[in-house]
Amino acid sequence: MTHSPRRIAFLALAVLVAVALSVSFGASGLGPGDLLRTLSADADPTARTILLQLRLPRAALAALVGGALGLSGCTFQALLRNPLAEPYVLGISGGAAVGAVAVMVTGVGVGLPWTLPAGAFLGAVAAMTLVLQIARRASPGGVDTRILILAGVIAGAFFNAVILLLLSLADIESFRSAIFWMMGNLSGAAWGSNGLLVLLLVPASVVLLSLSRAFNLLSRGEEVAYHLGASVQRVKLTAYLAASLMVAASVAAAGVIGFVGLIVPHAVRLAWGNDHRLLLPASFLAGTAFLLLADTVARIVVAPAELPTGVVTAVVGVPFFVVLLMRGGRR
Amino acid sequence: MKGAGSGGARPGDWRPVLRGRGLTYVHPRAEEPAVREVSLSVSPGQLLAVAGPNGAGKSTLLRLLSGALRPDAGDVRLDERALGDLSDRERARAIAVVPQSESSPFPVTVREMVGMGRYAHLGRWEPVGNRDRAVVDRALERCAVAPFAERQLEELSGGERQRVRIARALAQEAPILLLDEPTAGLDLRFQMELFHLLRELRADGLALLLVTHDLNLAARFADRLLLLDRGRAEAIGPPAEILSREALEGVYEWPLRLVPHPGPGSDTGAPQTIPLRRDDG
Repeated sequence: MTHSPRRIAFLALAVLVAVALSVSFGASGLGPGDLLRTLSADADPTARTILLQLRLPRAALAALVGGALGLSGCTFQALLRNPLAEPYVLGISGGAAVGAVAVMVTGVGVGLPWTLPAGAFLGAVAAMTLVLQIARRASPGGVDTRILILAGVIAGAFFNAVILLLLSLADIESFRSAIFWMMGNLSGAAWGSNGLLVLLLVPASVVLLSLSRAFNLLSRGEEVAYHLGASVQRVKLTAYLAASLMVAASVAAAGVIGFVGLIVPHAVRLAWGNDHRLLLPASFLAGTAFLLLADTVARIVVAPAELPTGVVTAVVGVPFFVVLLMRGGRR
Repeated sequence: MKGAGSGGARPGDWRPVLRGRGLTYVHPRAEEPAVREVSLSVSPGQLLAVAGPNGAGKSTLLRLLSGALRPDAGDVRLDERALGDLSDRERARAIAVVPQSESSPFPVTVREMVGMGRYAHLGRWEPVGNRDRAVVDRALERCAVAPFAERQLEELSGGERQRVRIARALAQEAPILLLDEPTAGLDLRFQMELFHLLRELRADGLALLLVTHDLNLAARFADRLLLLDRGRAEAIGPPAEILSREALEGVYEWPLRLVPHPGPGSDTGAPQTIPLRRDDG
């Protein structure tokens, strides 16, 4: 823990650099110099609009979603004592996708701005409730996390089937937009929805950070944690609900962006160990920086077109992670 | 009643007795109870050893006393308070447990591991203080693992890892310590060092309960021995009184002889169990 403040400061600096890079590049070709000029009084109103209404809200969304995925991924790994766990392991993304695809295919509320994220959020919350109820009924006394994983994976498989069913009935236009949504996409960023996201992510993050010591205990086993004084059932339930709500909100805002929630916490674990007092905030900040950079890449490599951000996180993130993993193995 | 609830009493002043009365427990989906009507007390300055064949209910009894399992009949009390009335933190400040084994997919350092023992003493946002650090340092010293404090737990040998887990329990500063087969898999020297450490802790006034398969060391170091057989307390009392050839042969269903420890030293005369060959019984 002695190095923690320096490490957190390092990551905060990385986030600032990533924000600067993210707002400095984009399809319109406005560079860092043009953007600095928009701050002066006689600024070009178009450039100003691009900065304030397009690039900054998008950077903010990338930062929020990246942080939420990093933190929730780390939480699910600790909760389930499983290094393979990630934010979508318990079927939340599947539930969100069912909600979103249902909105797109049926055309409910066409033209209204909030129907898609609302559908995704409701789907995600329904999935997390369903998975928890299955696990509760199937576990003798409290929630057995092994049964929770099983329930999540089974529910996820069912949601996938429902998505395929919906897509098979869809016309070509909804089909295309559904596929794009499922790859993760930050282009819907706006200040209003970002504000809602903050309202949900901040309290959930505070709750999870308050459990960091309990997660250290939990990762040694539930009975060990109990003997050391953790309120195991309450910690598990709180962590599940807080992390799931974070994921639900993120997916509603940006679709299913993969790999961030798996790779980022692991990269931090490999570099700095498994003390969750450092690991949780570091996963949030590293997720933020990572998604900002991935989204910057997504916007510039095929400009003026854009790649889905979720594709970039996988294409860039996986090789990076493999290198890290192999270096860790040699140590 | 001082101590358990207030948190005002300094650790070290409070010496409660842990009592189990008429404890019975049936595992879910099992037909026979794992523990039946067992009564015992774990008292300050005493080492109680629990022995018996595999499946006799030793670990189940320990988990009933620690609160990890709720008895189907009988109750567990810490002095006069029912164990279930304590908060999780209060309980962990009173009772520390060294489990038989544990594993984690996420490696930690020895110091991080022992530091976990301070959980019950720290508020949710309270930073680790100097006193916490001093307690952890002392626990590391006491269990002779201070030289490895910054190493990864997984790099250590089985004996060293076992001592780290004992150090973590000591960092809890609980007046009661329950150990589940702590000498399993340890070599001769580690076993003896561990029993010496237990003797020191007993001298400090800790109440100790030790689940063990080692009748010979139990006979030398324990104040009292509880012999379990298929969930029942076959005998409880000073080892020299309850260790008899008849009782042990009945419990273990194997021919054996008892011989007095040859000495030298304070263990001279303690009954040592020697199992015979089947044909020689």
